Amino acid sequence: MNIKLLLSDIYWVFWREIKKFLQQKARLMMVVIQPLIWLVLMGNSMSGLTRNPQAAQMLGTGNYLDFMTPGIMIMTALFGGVFGGITIVWDRRTGYLNKMLAAPIYRAAIPLGKLLSIGLQTMLQALIIVIIALFLGVHFKTGVLGIIALLIIAGLFGIIMGGISLSLSSRIKSMETLMAVSNFLTMPLMFTSNAMFPTNAMPGWLKAIAMGNPVSYAVHAMRTISTQGWIWHDILPALAALSGIMILIVALAIRLFSKSVN
Amino acid sequence: MRTIIEAQGLTKVYKGGILAVDNVSFTVNEGEIFGFLGPNGAGKSTTIALLTTLLSPTKGTATINGIDITKHAYQARLELGFVSQDLAVEDALTGYDNLRLQAGFYHLTRTEVHDRIAEVLKMVDLTGRAKDKVETYSGGMRKRLDIACGLIHRPRILFLDEPTLGLDIQTRREIWKYVNTLREKNKMTIFLTTHYMDEADSLCDRIAIIDRGVIKTLDTPSALKEAIKNEVPNPTLDDVFLHYTGKEMREDFTSKEESFKARNNIRRARG
Repeated sequence: MNIKLLLSDIYWVFWREIKKFLQQKARLMMVVIQPLIWLVLMGNSMSGLTRNPQAAQMLGTGNYLDFMTPGIMIMTALFGGVFGGITIVWDRRTGYLNKMLAAPIYRAAIPLGKLLSIGLQTMLQALIIVIIALFLGVHFKTGVLGIIALLIIAGLFGIIMGGISLSLSSRIKSMETLMAVSNFLTMPLMFTSNAMFPTNAMPGWLKAIAMGNPVSYAVHAMRTISTQGWIWHDILPALAALSGIMILIVALAIRLFSKSVN
Repeated sequence: MRTIIEAQGLTKVYKGGILAVDNVSFTVNEGEIFGFLGPNGAGKSTTIALLTTLLSPTKGTATINGIDITKHAYQARLELGFVSQDLAVEDALTGYDNLRLQAGFYHLTRTEVHDRIAEVLKMVDLTGRAKDKVETYSGGMRKRLDIACGLIHRPRILFLDEPTLGLDIQTRREIWKYVNTLREKNKMTIFLTTHYMDEADSLCDRIAIIDRGVIKTLDTPSALKEAIKNEVPNPTLDDVFLHYTGKEMREDFTSKEESFKARNNIRRARG
């Protein structure tokens, strides 16, 4: 294997995705508007919670938006990433996939380039959320370094969701089915996590599920960084679990994709 | 004349046991326009997919400029350009960016890229529109850009799968003019499929007719017509085609994917 050629192939697949992403004005608008709506709406309607001292203790912060912002970042990563596989289904339909496959490029470069672009798009979206959150008075305890860490975790999570979606799209050839399966995955993942509600406020069975949900790992690490500080014994295990899951999923996505084009 | 493509017993059995290409052998000479004709579902596209390394054969193999496609797929890909019937260009990008991307996929060096893009743009007369987004192009221009993409790495053999599908007669003539120039000026070998018999007749040096995965006949257009003279007076290539493939209509085994593709192509080809 020639690493230089592999990197070059990954770069060009990535370049195509990013170039297309930047062309879609409506999609870029949504990237800004969606988190804005979530933060303003959820922030306003739920802020009453923190007036209750017991709730404030469960949330671990006196400001619901502080609690909520990492959750919104992950939610955006979740919904953004989970549709990453659609681009493969689309490429297959338009014939562009065959065009790439007829070229002398590494098969693995196609899922890797796409995942990298999903990671970057997720980080960009997360950055926009941070900016909006700053305007709404959200306080990030660990400052700029902490914000960079939040973006990286969001990016990792976007890649995990993108990897799941790419793996599915190697088997599922129809766009409608892939959309249905993706939606089926996202909602339960979101609502059985600690993204919107603190696990302390959950009934026991839900808490058990939430603890095993990878969404919770990501949110927990991010929330610790943004509201508590660099508490490494809380952050590192979550990061390790997340990285492990990412490596497994990316390997699976590459394997299933390579199999599907042979 | 030098042989540039040699298929030896190419066979493809799809999952579920469908025999798409059955022990096909033929050779293509360097510099010729080779027509590959057949009804829908006859095995044309599968044969092209095998020769362009998109599928691997169940049995048999082929060489492209002496390179075995099963053993050295990577090297074989450098020798061939592939323009599918799908009009696979990115509408959201400019013509230039489409070519830039293709140059990246073929690992052209930074210094070559600009000249090479200028070269292929000139070949298909798109120099003036290179900076425009492809969504503003007509169907014929999109097809020309797609062909330019297939030429970026100066392949020795260009595979054109139904290059005139969905185009009007003026645009079809225009596309054929470019194809002919490629052969004459650049000494390129062209392997093409089409449903337009008159076009195949006037353009191709030799024609193979495939049906149900088997090559029924292979010869120059005039020899093909000569051969059935006793049965049909003044035969055209249409008569030759019907002679070898029969007159009954074909069941079209296209999947939902395929029919989506076909509709999408025709819509985009009309610009």
